[in-house]
Amino acid sequence: MKQHVARNLGLVVGILTVVFMTAPLVLVVLFSFNDSVVMTFPIKGLTFDWYRTLLSRDDFWGALRNSVIVTLAVGAGSTVIGTLAAMVIVRMRPRVSALAMSLFGLPMMMPPLVLALALLTLFSALGVRLSLMTVVLAHLTFTMPFVILIVTARLRDFDTAMLDSARDLGASPWTAFRSVTFPIIRPTLFGAGLIAMALSLDDFIITFFMLGGGNTLPTLVWGMLRTGVDPSINALGALILLATLGTSALALRITGYRG
Amino acid sequence: MMGVAVATMRRNLLLVPAIAVLGGLFLVPLVWFLVVSFYRVSLFQLVHEPNLANYARIWSDYLGPIGYTAGISALIAVVTTLLAFVVAHLIWSRGDGWGNFLLGATLLTLFGGYLVKIYAWRTLLGREGIVNNTLVGLHLTDNPIDALLYSPLAVVLVLVSYLLPFAILPVYGALRPIDPTSLEAARDLGASPWGVLRDAVLPRIVPALLTAFALSFLVSAGDYVTPRMVGGTRTQMMGNFIESQFGLRMNMPLGAAMTFSTLLTSIAVIAAAWIGMRTFLRAK
Repeated sequence: MKQHVARNLGLVVGILTVVFMTAPLVLVVLFSFNDSVVMTFPIKGLTFDWYRTLLSRDDFWGALRNSVIVTLAVGAGSTVIGTLAAMVIVRMRPRVSALAMSLFGLPMMMPPLVLALALLTLFSALGVRLSLMTVVLAHLTFTMPFVILIVTARLRDFDTAMLDSARDLGASPWTAFRSVTFPIIRPTLFGAGLIAMALSLDDFIITFFMLGGGNTLPTLVWGMLRTGVDPSINALGALILLATLGTSALALRITGYRG
Repeated sequence: MMGVAVATMRRNLLLVPAIAVLGGLFLVPLVWFLVVSFYRVSLFQLVHEPNLANYARIWSDYLGPIGYTAGISALIAVVTTLLAFVVAHLIWSRGDGWGNFLLGATLLTLFGGYLVKIYAWRTLLGREGIVNNTLVGLHLTDNPIDALLYSPLAVVLVLVSYLLPFAILPVYGALRPIDPTSLEAARDLGASPWGVLRDAVLPRIVPALLTAFALSFLVSAGDYVTPRMVGGTRTQMMGNFIESQFGLRMNMPLGAAMTFSTLLTSIAVIAAAWIGMRTFLRAK
């Protein structure tokens, strides 16, 4: 009897926790169609007006363009650099590879504010002008560890016998990679790239300090948050959600990555 | 033999871009940031004369805010880690639809707009927000509670909600390889459910629990957006003080010194949490 109670208590607390975690996102989507400025229940009517308001803003299109550029560049850069590193790390002796993994993982544990300010201080000392390029460089630091983590995990399961036979049959390292390794790990690379893109697209703090002028989608949200209540934030939020959820859901499906 | 050595060396070249990113965009900036924390500014220019004045100022003026930040971050990290364990355990122990549903919900909230979540909480907790309207509607209070928003409580609520998915995944990842049948053996021999949890489950997932705690603590201690958006004027965390040194006040060295003081405090708290977990969650 007592066990039964404990088990059900766990279930109730767990479900409440998940509701608490997901509620904000559900509400943003719900109220982006709400036919009233006041965000409260019951919802009386549905409308697309907030989306129309959002899409008619000039700064939305500029922010979207910048976000697309940064996200694609970070996804590509992080995936290529991280994969090259993962290919060396899996061949290391266990101790060295564990050390390399924790070293490359360091930026994941650093608060984004610290990453941003340290880079900003260095860039200002070197006279580097802030631009989309500095945003991309900064985003590489915290997205690359995820790529290395995911690709290394995949390469560890990889049967190297196939690669060895290709090499024994006279294939150069590059040919062996192109014709054996790459086709097998391609879904993982694609998934890792999408996770890097989702992380990049969602970042506000680092982008805010690295962006010289203009906006990305999160900094546009920031500007709108400061000007007061504006339900088109819900519409923008729902769109960002759709984009990040779309890419990450696809990524998790492809890689089967579970934490 | 020569060929193998050359091939290994050539393979190691593939590490160069990643090392360039880690070194050039992370380690070098951090070291420079540490150096700058010993400098001072005069007329908006860095003066390259090493001194301890910034740290002396933090010691005399900012110990209170650092303690407050560490306290509120520790609370957030403890609550997040506990709830994350409950959810992860639920996902792990229930092979049925519920487990998969909860895992799916966790993965979906992992990304999805840091600022947008804060905005949603602001509208939820506000005077005219859903929580207050419900409380008034149910006649639990006569007037809306203003303290829901713009209070330290709001900061805790928002950050716990934001951090949960990041904490659940590593804990679930550590639970997953544990074979439930090995635990049934302990149950058959008469161990209580709590005994099994304490002696057989928790000791094996200490690294994951520490990861969840450390991540939650560091993100909270370094955050300035949440306290500013939902914390009100009285909830000033170190993130806010640090950020303002790079905005209006233009005092990079003091901001850098504040950052390293906060990081050092964070490392001390995380080390204490590690020692605590190792002491209390030891395998029997």
